[in-house]
Amino acid sequence: MSDKETKVKVTNLTKKFGDLLVLDDISFDVGKGEFLCIVGPTGCGKTTFLNSITHLYEPTSGHILIDGKEVNLKEHNISYIFQENSTMPWLTVEENVRFGLDIKSIPREEATNRVSEYLKIVGLEKYKNYYPNQLSASMLQRVVIARAFVTEPDLLLMDEPYGQLDIELRFKLEDELLELQRRTGTTVIFITHNIEEAVYLGERILILTNKPTKIKSSVFVDMQHPRNIADEEFVEIRNKVTDLIKWW
Amino acid sequence: MKSEKKKNIIATLLTIAGFLLVWQLVSMAVDNAAFLPKASVIVLEFFKTFVNPVGKYTMTMHILISLYRVGVAFILATLVGIMMGVGMGYSKLVEAILYPLFEIIRPIPPLAWIPMSILWFGLGDASKFFIIFLGSFSFITLNTYDGTKNVDRELIGAARMLGASERQVFFKVVLPSSVPYIFAGLQIAVTAGWSSVVGAEMVRSDEGVGWLIVMGMNKGNTIQIMVGMLAIGIIGFLLAQLTTLVERRLLAWNDQ
Amino acid sequence: MERSVKESVLKVENVSKIFSREEGSFGQKKLVENHVIDQVTFDVYENEFLVIFGPGQSGKTTLLKMMAGLEKVTDGIIEFGQKKISGPNPQLGFVYQSIALFPWLTVMENVEFGPKVKGEGKVERREKAQHYIELVGLGGFEERYPAQLSGGMKQRVGIARAYANNPKILLMDEPFGALDAQTRYMMEAEIQKIWQKEKRTVVFVTNNIEEALFLADRIILLTNCPTKIKSEYHVSLPHPRSYVDKEFLKLRQEITNNMDRTL
Repeated sequence: MSDKETKVKVTNLTKKFGDLLVLDDISFDVGKGEFLCIVGPTGCGKTTFLNSITHLYEPTSGHILIDGKEVNLKEHNISYIFQENSTMPWLTVEENVRFGLDIKSIPREEATNRVSEYLKIVGLEKYKNYYPNQLSASMLQRVVIARAFVTEPDLLLMDEPYGQLDIELRFKLEDELLELQRRTGTTVIFITHNIEEAVYLGERILILTNKPTKIKSSVFVDMQHPRNIADEEFVEIRNKVTDLIKWW
Repeated sequence: MKSEKKKNIIATLLTIAGFLLVWQLVSMAVDNAAFLPKASVIVLEFFKTFVNPVGKYTMTMHILISLYRVGVAFILATLVGIMMGVGMGYSKLVEAILYPLFEIIRPIPPLAWIPMSILWFGLGDASKFFIIFLGSFSFITLNTYDGTKNVDRELIGAARMLGASERQVFFKVVLPSSVPYIFAGLQIAVTAGWSSVVGAEMVRSDEGVGWLIVMGMNKGNTIQIMVGMLAIGIIGFLLAQLTTLVERRLLAWNDQ
Repeated sequence: MERSVKESVLKVENVSKIFSREEGSFGQKKLVENHVIDQVTFDVYENEFLVIFGPGQSGKTTLLKMMAGLEKVTDGIIEFGQKKISGPNPQLGFVYQSIALFPWLTVMENVEFGPKVKGEGKVERREKAQHYIELVGLGGFEERYPAQLSGGMKQRVGIARAYANNPKILLMDEPFGALDAQTRYMMEAEIQKIWQKEKRTVVFVTNNIEEALFLADRIILLTNCPTKIKSEYHVSLPHPRSYVDKEFLKLRQEITNNMDRTL
């Protein structure tokens, strides 16, 4: 971490709903271009955590800085990918990917070029005139990924985007995601319940506690991609993280 | 959460106050009581009618009589609507028989039925029931039909796998899962039935909130017309609130 | 082997399924046929935990629904207790991925639904329902409505409901597919425990290899559509199994490598 410039700085983030403490004094940094995974037990304040980072909820106290400035959705470009299919059914694949660019009024030609470039990367150029209901679940998730990356976000938040996919397919999409992330240098925070997935993807894994949510530990995964899930080191890290969560 | 609720209630009250204020100002500017009476006058007259009779009765009686007419018609509409809706939703044959006829009758407004209803049912309450019935039953039918058609196939499958007979599937799955739809229909139907009370009471009558308006029109009494309108509006609002309340009570399971 | 003395309780013989529907506009309608299952044959043995495992686009759910009698076979025969299956049979329990609880009934009322429609007396059926509600760890939640439960709890009710009907075979269609990874692990351990206690023949459909290996005595691997049987695996690892055990990971790799790819 020390070798990277800090992109996101979260300090003393606390959120209460009335008297109910949900997030308890959370502080961490994310380096520029880092792939950070966050895992926590079921029912930890994951959603609150995400919504506080995007300032959908005003935190009760604490600060979230991006590039040294307080988060501001007008100024900072934060993309958000979650598990449910979030494509717009009335738009084609191409129009869906364009969506974010149109909102930001990027010039037509530039937008077209960028969209086609990203469609190529996720392997969907042949399908650009299809509507979402003509695509499989994994293809839809690729559309969403392309839509997020095409806007070149400061920060990409992913909330268990592959929870419903076959394991095989999941690995394939994860490899694609890592490739895209490497190429664009995007900073990613990836939230998941799946420990194997976290170890497969992350440069670093933050482990959350149950409510009130705190950071319990932080584990570095210093392994080359693509990682092998049967590798001894992999299994060792997976076991370590599993022990830290202790949900059973 | 609580403060938000409070805020919303205040917003509602402010809107009503604002509306009355604008009305008051405009009517003062117009300054023609027969064209647009003052808001203050209407509200005052409205309350007075609860004490001083208009025609034979006070406002309370007018409202009760109208409510009675709507009530009877609404119960009939509910029975017929649910039966037709369930029948059409559950059986393709019943659907084929009834649906086209239903769709032809539906667009004919209740007012258009006045002459026929007088011919068939005379000048008494029966023709008024008939008109209000026509004004409300189609909403119940359509919603019930929708609900019955949209029963989750997996729920039916689950019941079958647990050994439910055809009859049990109908009474234990199809009907209860249509209840939220039926309630949505009832809610629209109550309002629709209530608003067709004016049409119904155009058929010769001596009482009811609809009669207030019809009579006011005949006599050129603007104030009476507007007092009648206000009464219909307020009672309609209360009826809608009441059905929502009943729905919440009965359909606790449907609360997310 | 032990298996040779085991009795077959359900036979799937040369079963095929073709969905056909009309497509196109007036005058130029054509019949579109979708060949989902192609001549599949296998047996289900008494008290085994059989997992039917296949990629996302295999017809595994269709196959299971045909075994339940919820879907007609286009060709072939499915036999249960020497008799051909022709419709839903309460001796076969079915657990849905969507769970399919009756939202207007409480947990208790959902679980006692089967005994109730069979006309069992209130005391008897309540007692039975209570037993299974407690078995799945939901004691104290009897009066809740499904909307007041978490995803994992709902699926426990679904399982209790199927058990309370006392089926010969439990058919489970990706029952944990919609749960998050940790709840899923928990439910897998739970269902394994319940199965040890209340031995019952289980046919379990999934697209998750970890889940398949964690639970199964035997795994039938299916191909993509039109679906055939690709291979069969006997899993003899002792319970409770570990997801990161060497043998486990080895088998996982082996089966994964043998699996058809999907887009």
